[in-house]
Amino acid sequence: MKIAFTAEETGWDSQMDPRFGRTAYILIYDDVKDELAFIDNRENANAAHGAGPQTAQKLLEISPDILITGNGPGGNSAMLLKKINMKIYTGAGEFCVKEAYQAYQKGELKEF
Amino acid sequence: MTEIVVISGKGGTGKTSIVASFSYLAGPKAVLADCDVDAADLHLLMQPDFNKGEDFYSGKRSKINPDVCNQCGRCVEICRFHAICATNSHYAVEPLDCEGCGYCSRVCPVNAVIMEDLQVGKWFISTTRLDSIMVHARLGIGTENSGKLVAQVKKEAKRIAEELNRDFVLVDGSPGIGCPVISSLAGSDFAVLITEPTLSGLHDLKRIIELVNQFHIPAGCIINKCDLNPQLSSEIEYLLNRRNISHIANISFDNVFTRAMVNGQTVFEIAHTNVQDILIESWKKIKRITKQKGK
Repeated sequence: MKIAFTAEETGWDSQMDPRFGRTAYILIYDDVKDELAFIDNRENANAAHGAGPQTAQKLLEISPDILITGNGPGGNSAMLLKKINMKIYTGAGEFCVKEAYQAYQKGELKEF
Repeated sequence: MTEIVVISGKGGTGKTSIVASFSYLAGPKAVLADCDVDAADLHLLMQPDFNKGEDFYSGKRSKINPDVCNQCGRCVEICRFHAICATNSHYAVEPLDCEGCGYCSRVCPVNAVIMEDLQVGKWFISTTRLDSIMVHARLGIGTENSGKLVAQVKKEAKRIAEELNRDFVLVDGSPGIGCPVISSLAGSDFAVLITEPTLSGLHDLKRIIELVNQFHIPAGCIINKCDLNPQLSSEIEYLLNRRNISHIANISFDNVFTRAMVNGQTVFEIAHTNVQDILIESWKKIKRITKQKGK
């Protein structure tokens, strides 16, 4: 299973980014291979407009099973993301990535 | 540190006057962030000193290099904004018409079109006349606010608040529910919704409630000018109750807001009216609610 996180940096100890569209990085954890990879999203973070849908587009390409983030995507991005079979969990904006993953495992995050 | 965003859905409901009042009450404990950059007006009341400014770039604008251009005219054909004009077979971009989509640079066979970063304005870190720190921005002519600029202003305000150990970041958001508003809400702890009992006030309040609920941001509402239409006011109260938004206060119509605005002051610096008591109570209530969240 692939789990995506919005994060300010690239490791497990990195602070989560509460923003969806303007997140600096998207981290992808593959729990079968136990591998953590990252995608640089800083170009979208700096987009004047449409940061949300562009980040959503990236997620459509990666197509993870789960996304863990802070506040969740806005209206336009949410509509796009409905097209893939990905569950979104929110409320992890103030954790580090590791804590966010643990909170998800314990069922403490809200489904979007 | 608690981040409180004041938004309204509809413009002209008293958002900035109320932000200025809260800022007066919080004093230097609150760092102000004016994210309503399209029609920034908090500076009129707070008189910041524009101490430190930095250029801000957002979006692109195309420019044609006349030395490379072979005058084929393809850019003129595809530009749906009619931003490229040809005079005496000299092609140039009209800067105010260009939307920065970049289509011209894509079709240009000789790469004569350059996409330049667009300087849309400046952002500032200031000290206000009330001795609080304020982060704000000023846009150039014909440029617009963006989620990026809001993100920048908020990030800076947050950084300062953390560095100086201030209790609050108080954000004056923009009207509507679009990109700048979504950006001003992201990562915040509490949203204060300012509305008025008019049809458009109610309509836009419904939209903004949907947005804060979608983001799981706790919110409270102040009904300003509540006696203008008592029936709509009670309709709004009913809506707040149903949608789980705390009803912070009702403020009756009072020209003290206008008088304060004309003087470039907050309502607290004008002769005493009960508006001040209501605002003091409201600020206390907001502090109580945000504290319960454990921050």
